[in-house]
Amino acid sequence: MTHHHGSRVWGFARYFALAAAAGLLLLPLATFAQTSSSASGSSTDRWLHVRVISSDNRGETVRVNVPLDLAEKVLPAINKNRLHSGKVTITGADCDGLDIKAILEAVRTSKDGEFVTVQSDENDVRVAKQAGYLLIHVTDKSGKHHIARHMHHSDKSDDSPDKNDKAEKSQTASTHESKVEVKIPMKVVDALFSAGKDELDLVAALRALSASGEGDLVTVKDDENTVRVWLDSKNVSE
Amino acid sequence: MILLAKVALGFGTTLAVAGAYTFREGVIRVDVDEFHQGGAHVHMWVPAAVVPMALHLVPTHHLHHASLEAREAMPVVRAMFHELRNYPNTVFVEVTDGDQHVRVATESGKLAIDVTEPGENVHLRVPITTVEDVFAQLERAGLRSAIRDGKEEDWNWRN
Repeated sequence: MTHHHGSRVWGFARYFALAAAAGLLLLPLATFAQTSSSASGSSTDRWLHVRVISSDNRGETVRVNVPLDLAEKVLPAINKNRLHSGKVTITGADCDGLDIKAILEAVRTSKDGEFVTVQSDENDVRVAKQAGYLLIHVTDKSGKHHIARHMHHSDKSDDSPDKNDKAEKSQTASTHESKVEVKIPMKVVDALFSAGKDELDLVAALRALSASGEGDLVTVKDDENTVRVWLDSKNVSE
Repeated sequence: MILLAKVALGFGTTLAVAGAYTFREGVIRVDVDEFHQGGAHVHMWVPAAVVPMALHLVPTHHLHHASLEAREAMPVVRAMFHELRNYPNTVFVEVTDGDQHVRVATESGKLAIDVTEPGENVHLRVPITTVEDVFAQLERAGLRSAIRDGKEEDWNWRN
């Protein structure tokens, strides 16, 4: 009887050992399945994308995709130089003596419209507030100007100017200007300057950015590079 | 004969358990190929679970030194890898310059770094949890040394 009972226990132990071994063997697969099933972030996540495309013949391209949630969590952990707890300390020298907070307060409380419009041979600058966005457009024409002057000199020195050559030079000159377009939600600007007098609150700005809609934030175009910084809910850049 | 079968079963079960435990954390994969005469070709597959275990065998003073070196980056690394777990399949950085290509991404919960250029290819896959484990051990080693030396107050990684 005792022997019979003992063999039953032994048999049970063997089955248990086999089941445990099988379970442990399948554990990695279960873990893998769990990992695979969890999506990369939630669908409501906001992603900051940076894309730089160089127009040189090497075709240099840089693509950076950063989830704003990740940036929000990591930034406060960086304490180096002026960056601490997700805030950057700025000094009066950085602002060139301007009271940025006062200017922003004036912009924030004012109605939509154009605040700065400068048109010159070197630059066109436009700063405006429109539908809750701060818009800054800068066209740097100094490169174009330089080329135009260069052409003027070379034309003078050339005794028999070729019309086709002139046309080609003119086409080249027209591309030598750079355009910068910035479109930032006012809420983000407010959050950025919400920390204190001499600080920029990057984490607060990121939170405000998360809450804002999708779209382009910065685009830079010149004859060498095209830079685009934008926000959307996709985890891959276009 | 039955005894032999039992021994085989025991051995097999132990092997299965050990194998399951070893590969539970995934595999660290390092592939380096240098395409020139005498260039190195390194292809390594290491069970990720082995790394934290191996760290226990590293002399304390070496660990302490490493933890001091990594001390400044520790909070950032901790926060970043903790968050990276939420993005198991994502390309974070991709740079293409002619024949050169650099990619930093996560693939199935692993940190993936690929560098491809005409003369050399490097591919690295490390489970994110392994990196976290390694840094946690370094952190503990540093804290232990600080307590031993009475400098616990200086060890403010958590802050």
